[in-house]
Amino acid sequence: MAIEVKVRSPQLRLLLAGLSFFVAVALVPLVAALVVIAASQGMGEATRQVFFNIAKWARIFVYALTAAILLVLAYGPLSRLRLWLIGKREDRWDRPWERARFFLLYGIGQGRMPNDLYAGLMHLLIFWGWTFLFIGTVMLAFHDDFVEYLEGHVYLGYSLALDLAGVAATVGILMALYRRYLWKHPKMRLGSLWDDVALLWLMLAILLTGFVIEGMRVGMTELQGATIDVHGGIASDPNWAPWSPIGFLIGKAALESGASQGFMELLHKSLWWLHLAMATGWVAWVGYGKISHILLGSANIFLRKLSPTGAALAGTALPPIADFETAERFGAGYLRDFTWKQLMDVDVCVRCGRCEAHCPAYNTGKELTPMGFLQDIKRYLTEAGPRLLAARRKGEEVKEERAIAGDVVSFNTIWDCVTCGACEYQCPLFIEHIPKLMDMRRYLVMEQASMPETAQATLMQLEQRGHPWRGTQLTRTTWIEELAREGVEVPMFDGSQEYLYWVGCTGALQERNVRVTKAIVRLLLQAGVSFGVLGAEETCSGDPARRLGNEYLFQMQAQQNIETFKAKGVKKVIANCPHCFNTIRHEYPQLDGRFEVVHHTQLFAQLVAEGRLEPRTINELWGFPVTYHDPCYLARHNNIMGEPRQLLAAMDLETVEMERHRGHTFCCGAGGGHMWVEESKGQRINHVRTAEAAGTGARVIAVACPFCLQMFEEGVGSVPEAARKGMQVLDVAELLERSVAYSRAAATR
Amino acid sequence: MALHIICCVKQVPDPETPASQFRVDEAAKKVIPAPGIAPVPSQFDTIGVEAALRIRDALGDVKISVVSMGPDSFRDAIKHCLAMGADDGYLINDPALHEADHWVTAQVLAAAIQKLAPFDLVITGRQAVDWDMGVVGPTLAELLGIPCVTIAKDVKVQDGKVVVERVLLDGFETVEAPLPAVVTVSNELGEPRYPQLRQIMMAARKQVTVWTAADLGLNPAQLQNRVNVEALYIPETKVETEFIEGDTVEEKVDRLLQRLREAKLI
Repeated sequence: MAIEVKVRSPQLRLLLAGLSFFVAVALVPLVAALVVIAASQGMGEATRQVFFNIAKWARIFVYALTAAILLVLAYGPLSRLRLWLIGKREDRWDRPWERARFFLLYGIGQGRMPNDLYAGLMHLLIFWGWTFLFIGTVMLAFHDDFVEYLEGHVYLGYSLALDLAGVAATVGILMALYRRYLWKHPKMRLGSLWDDVALLWLMLAILLTGFVIEGMRVGMTELQGATIDVHGGIASDPNWAPWSPIGFLIGKAALESGASQGFMELLHKSLWWLHLAMATGWVAWVGYGKISHILLGSANIFLRKLSPTGAALAGTALPPIADFETAERFGAGYLRDFTWKQLMDVDVCVRCGRCEAHCPAYNTGKELTPMGFLQDIKRYLTEAGPRLLAARRKGEEVKEERAIAGDVVSFNTIWDCVTCGACEYQCPLFIEHIPKLMDMRRYLVMEQASMPETAQATLMQLEQRGHPWRGTQLTRTTWIEELAREGVEVPMFDGSQEYLYWVGCTGALQERNVRVTKAIVRLLLQAGVSFGVLGAEETCSGDPARRLGNEYLFQMQAQQNIETFKAKGVKKVIANCPHCFNTIRHEYPQLDGRFEVVHHTQLFAQLVAEGRLEPRTINELWGFPVTYHDPCYLARHNNIMGEPRQLLAAMDLETVEMERHRGHTFCCGAGGGHMWVEESKGQRINHVRTAEAAGTGARVIAVACPFCLQMFEEGVGSVPEAARKGMQVLDVAELLERSVAYSRAAATR
Repeated sequence: MALHIICCVKQVPDPETPASQFRVDEAAKKVIPAPGIAPVPSQFDTIGVEAALRIRDALGDVKISVVSMGPDSFRDAIKHCLAMGADDGYLINDPALHEADHWVTAQVLAAAIQKLAPFDLVITGRQAVDWDMGVVGPTLAELLGIPCVTIAKDVKVQDGKVVVERVLLDGFETVEAPLPAVVTVSNELGEPRYPQLRQIMMAARKQVTVWTAADLGLNPAQLQNRVNVEALYIPETKVETEFIEGDTVEEKVDRLLQRLREAKLI
């Protein structure tokens, strides 16, 4: 069967996003050029008779029908809106201009569609084709009832443009039918008979009947040079016909096959009414089923979460619980604990399957499927929502309400998430999956104390010892003492330095990661960066507690760090853990802790660019390609993808990319607290990713995150294809340190 | 009538303190607390609270009191148990008792338990994870004059009796005892539960009742330790390597065997 084409290159994706506009924009010059040619042939009178072959009263009927249909259409979203209001308040109206820009880029521009080339192209063809046909219909009504402007070359161009739009839409629909019936694409796993299947066939029928109606009209009028009822009766011209190319072909075929005038009239008339019924039916449907994404999806893009700190995804900075004392419930257990926007998200999902196709949990056989859990909540909202609303209106107790967390959405689904953000990054409608899952975790942890044993042990560990590494034999100052024995003095932060180097628990308490910490410190010292460390005064940044659902513990830990930072006069922070980096950058400001944070790869890229560090090719590694694994919290959540690659390029290392890289990276399996939580079932995520890295032919996996380092270290020992090759896992800083040391040694020789 | 369970808890230096940080003052015969490492509730004791909570989950009408003896920092251990779901906390904080051994501890706890009477069940950990002596529970039972069942993996209260599954080396046995009784629990019972946030917040607001020895009608001067610590030190592990020399392999093997026999290893 067909091969799925995925677009990884950001440049190409941008180009394809541009294609969206191009499909539309290309039509205009093409048609205009042809109109110029037509002008030279003198077809100034060309036009068409609206409501040809149709009873006079049909005009009024169509208007009345349109009005009725619009009412039916409007009822759909309004009835859903009532259901969303079961949820809590949430403000999504800030920064309207930024929202409008977003809407242009991702709504009308369909910016995320080309991530999946086939489906994206298919959608663009249908979208632009249908949009032109819709605009064309409105234009025709305006022409017919207000100002007659569709005449001469304008009319011919108009007719050609709409025929081409019809062809585009038909090709798109056929691509969709092929994908559904012959390709049987797994993304359409959750298809529904009416919403998905019937809709496609209906749209195809609307397009085909439209072409046949046009063909009959062209056959009966233009091709025969018949008089049409315009301006009191003018003669039509066969030269006009090719400007409606599809109609021309169908009309000509009908005439040549000897179809009688009566048959053509009858076919035209009956299909016209059928077409009208189907088209208005389709418009009504826009208020209800999957196709309502035209309205609701657009609104959802407009209403997406905007971050004050430039967080890339909704799941990048989780919303805080403002007041624990007055909170009615911690997290989201029942429908009413979600916000209206969260319930709206659930409703706009069209089951396109893009999230699922990229979800590390789903793709390693776990229970979690992002679109699946949305659909489960949607089903329950539809089924129980009206009942809950009625009870609330009457002020009655709601009976037999099912919990969402743990019942409608299973325990494992909630705990399988690694918060990598792949789902949110792919979703064309900007549905915010992670905050919903995290709100449910909060409910399970803080209200129910219901969590996997390993998560409980981790939270207890964090609470009692301020770090997640149970059983470590190191302290936060062990590495400092070790460096001192080597004669390297690690400066302690006292407010006089420019940067605080935030080592993080893993960097201090795990033997393997201590090597990275030492490399970073040596590089910082060599480059003459003014920095200091906190030593024993560091505590967990709070990321694991927050992502394991204990918001209370997170706030305590974050608060403590913010106080330490403020007391010591910290302004700028260097972090080598993307999770700490992310939390300090995007989540501390929620608690009034505003600090400038750089990731070590960013700082080192800058130092190399400034010539303060001079890397050279590393001989011992030369000849073995390196593959760089993008950490989710660096690439996807923070858009930092270039700097680590710049560093590898500066070292002149041969690099190969994994299929899933940059924003499309595949999690190592350790995000969202899963560094310490056992996976529920299926393959281990880090093994899948390690196998992918091994498949590139690389001998070194370069990482920029302490958890990724741990996960790959385990992976290269357990995945046969990696173990056979003796793959090494090194932090970019470790590679850089060797490279710089080599460079210095060469200089002194 | 409500069942009253009394759990005895102790706070200990974190057993997961890295070995490099563990130090003792050999002259004073005391453990020096590792800097920056907070003490934790003794794990077996929180398992005891878990056992009590499970009885309450099963029976409903159960009151759980937590008793501890130690300095003010022990309050944290009591608060943790309250957050888990215990009802009341009592701390016997008397500077005169800070050097107490198991014998004095058991006498003080017994007095506190009697002050909290009526009670039906006393649950302690099988041992505290600092000194690992495992004697306070049985001593308490002796002083209170009630039965004692040790090293439990399951505790149930049925028909006025306590039914206990005891861990043995090769399995377990089921033992019944009349109430009131003392039961000491082991880790086979299962993980202590994770406190719900609301309970943590409630526990933070709850008052822990503080008593001195005098409040219990005891005179510290009359409470004499029976355990005398002779010496306290971290054992040194020495590795000595000796190469067995010889001209032939047979000779080397003979000498090796001779050395092993001398060392009584074979």
